[in-house]
Amino acid sequence: MDMLRITGLKKRFGDKEVLRGLELSVPEHSIFGLIGRNGAGKTTTMKTVLGLLKADAGEIAVAGEKVSYGQTGTNRHIGYLPDVPEFYPCMNAPEYLAFCGEITGMSRSDIRARGDELLKLVGLEGEKHRIRGFSRGMKQRLGIAQALLNRPKLLICDEPTSALDPVGRRELLEILKAARGETTVIFSTHILADVERICTDVAFLENGKAELQGPLEDIRARYRRDEYLLEVENEADLPRLLQAFPALEPAGENLLRLRGKEQAVFEVLGFVTERRIPLLKMERTEPTLETLFMEVVGK
Amino acid sequence: MRAFLACIRKEGLELLRSGRLLILLLIFVFLGILSPATAKITPWLLETMADSLAGSGITVHAVNITALDSWMQFFKNIPLGLIAFILLESGIFTGEYQSGTLILSLTKGLDRRTVLLSKAVMLCALWTLCYWLCFGITYAYSAIYWDNAVARHLLLSAVCWWLFGLWVTALTVFFSAVAKNGTAVLAGTGVCVLVSVMLGMLPKLKAYLPSFLTDGYSLVSGFAAPREFLPAALITLALGILALAFSFPVFSKRQL
Ligand SMILES: Nc1ncnc2c1ncn2[C@@H]1O[C@H](COP(=O)(O)OP(=O)(O)OP(=O)(O)O)[C@@H](O)[C@H]1O
Ligand SMILES: [Mg+2]
Repeated sequence: MDMLRITGLKKRFGDKEVLRGLELSVPEHSIFGLIGRNGAGKTTTMKTVLGLLKADAGEIAVAGEKVSYGQTGTNRHIGYLPDVPEFYPCMNAPEYLAFCGEITGMSRSDIRARGDELLKLVGLEGEKHRIRGFSRGMKQRLGIAQALLNRPKLLICDEPTSALDPVGRRELLEILKAARGETTVIFSTHILADVERICTDVAFLENGKAELQGPLEDIRARYRRDEYLLEVENEADLPRLLQAFPALEPAGENLLRLRGKEQAVFEVLGFVTERRIPLLKMERTEPTLETLFMEVVGK
Repeated sequence: MRAFLACIRKEGLELLRSGRLLILLLIFVFLGILSPATAKITPWLLETMADSLAGSGITVHAVNITALDSWMQFFKNIPLGLIAFILLESGIFTGEYQSGTLILSLTKGLDRRTVLLSKAVMLCALWTLCYWLCFGITYAYSAIYWDNAVARHLLLSAVCWWLFGLWVTALTVFFSAVAKNGTAVLAGTGVCVLVSVMLGMLPKLKAYLPSFLTDGYSLVSGFAAPREFLPAALITLALGILALAFSFPVFSKRQL
C-alpha cells in the first residue's frame, strides 16, 4: 500500500504555477527523498499534504484517507518537521513535548517515557532552558523529537539537516534510517549525499512535476549506461590499450573509460590477460544522483 | 476536551511567563486605586488652588465628595484598562501565525476550533479577572472613605461595562481570525468601536448600540433607569456571540 499518494496536484500562487499536476506515490516503509532546486515546490507539496495549503486541483491520500484543506484529521498519522521549526518560546523542551503529547491524546505515562526517550535520542536530555534561547540546530533536534513523538505512520521532514553540524547531520540520518522500521519517511533536501546514504526511493521535482521517481535502485539501473572504468598500474600501458581498442578513451591519470557492451569488456580483459598488463580495477560506473539531477534539470 | 485543557494551560503559561499577566494586573490594580484616589484628593487640590483662583475672580465653594465621584472616575478610567488589555492581547493569534508555532500544533491533529475556543475563553476570562479586580478595588476604597449606597444600580452598571468589554474582546478574536498581524487586529477592532460611538451620536440609535453600555455613570447617578440599558445589552451580547460564531469558519479556512 502507498502511505502517501498524490494525484494531479496543482497549486499556483498568483500567476506563478508551482505545481502542475504532480503525481507522487510513496510506498510504505520507504525513505523517500524529495529532490528539487530552490523554489521547486517541495515545501509547498508538504504543506498541501498537511492540509495547510489549499490545492487548486488534485487529490491527496495519507494512509488511504483523503486530505482536505483546513481539516486536521489525517494529520494524526503524520509527524512533521518544518524547514524552520518554531516552538512556544516560553516553554522548555520537556514541556513542549508534553503539550504535543496532550493534544495528540497520548497517555500521561506514555508522554513522559516517550518524551525522555526522544530527548535522549536527539541529544537534548537534561536541557532545562526555555526554547527562547535555543540555537537553530537545537530547534531542529527538538523538531525531530516532536515529529516522532506519537509514533506517526508518515514522517515528513523539510530539509531536516540544513541547520545541523556534521556530527548532528550523521546522527539525524541514522535516526531517520532507524525510524524506517516503524514509519515511512519523506524528506526534502538539496544534499544529494544524504539521499544516497539513506534513501530507498527518490523523486526529482522539476517544473511542477515529479520528473523522475521510483526506487533508487531502479532509477540507477535505468540510467546505468554501458560504461566502465579501467585503471592500470603503469601509465606506460595506456597507449597500447588505446591503440588496440577505439572504444577506449582516456579518463584521467591511469584511467580509461570504456563505452560498450559486456562483450567489449571481455575483449579488453582478454587483451590485458594476454599481455600481462597489471590492472588495479575494472568497474561499471554507476550514475551518481548528481549526474541524474543535472540531467533532469537540463544542465 | 484534553486537547482544550492542554491549550488553556499553554495559554496560561505564556501569559504568566511572558509577563503579560503581571503587567495587566498592575495596570488594573492601579486604575482601581486611581479612581477613589482622584476623588479623594479633589477637595484638597481645589483648596490649594483656591487662593490663586480667588485672585482671578473665581470663588471655590467647599465641595462635597461622595462615592459617586469615585465611580465617575472609575467609568472614566476603565476605558484605559480596556485599551491596554486589547493592545497587549492583540497578538495572541497573529503572533502565532507569524512565528509559525501554530502550524506545528495543527499538524499534530489539533483541531483549529479547539485553538480558537481556548484562546477566546482565555481572553474572556482574563478580561473578566482584570475588570472585576479593578472594580473590587474601587468598591472597597469607596466603601471605606464614603458610602457606596449613594451609587444606584452599581452592580448593574458594572455588568454593563463588563459586557461592553466582552464585546470588544469578541471583536478582537474575530479580527485575529481574519487579520495577518496585530496592527490589523487593533485597526479592525478600533474601527468597530468607533463606528458604534459615531452612530451613538444619533439620538434615535443611541440606546441600541454597544457603546451605550459604557455610560454607567448615568445609571449610577440615577439619570437613567436600568430598563433603558436592556436593548443595548441584548444587542451587544448578540453581536459578541455573532462575532465569535463567525470567527470559527473564517479561522478554519484561513491560509497559514
Ligand atoms: N505563500 C506564498 N505566496 C506566494 N508564493 C509562494 C508562497 N509559498 C511559496 N511560494 C512560491 O512557490 C514556489 C515554491 O516554493 P517552495 O517553498 O515550495 O519551494 P521549495 O522547493 O521548498 O524551495 P527551497 O528548496 O528553497 O526550500 C516559490 O517560487 C515561492 O516563491
Ligand atoms: Mg522549502
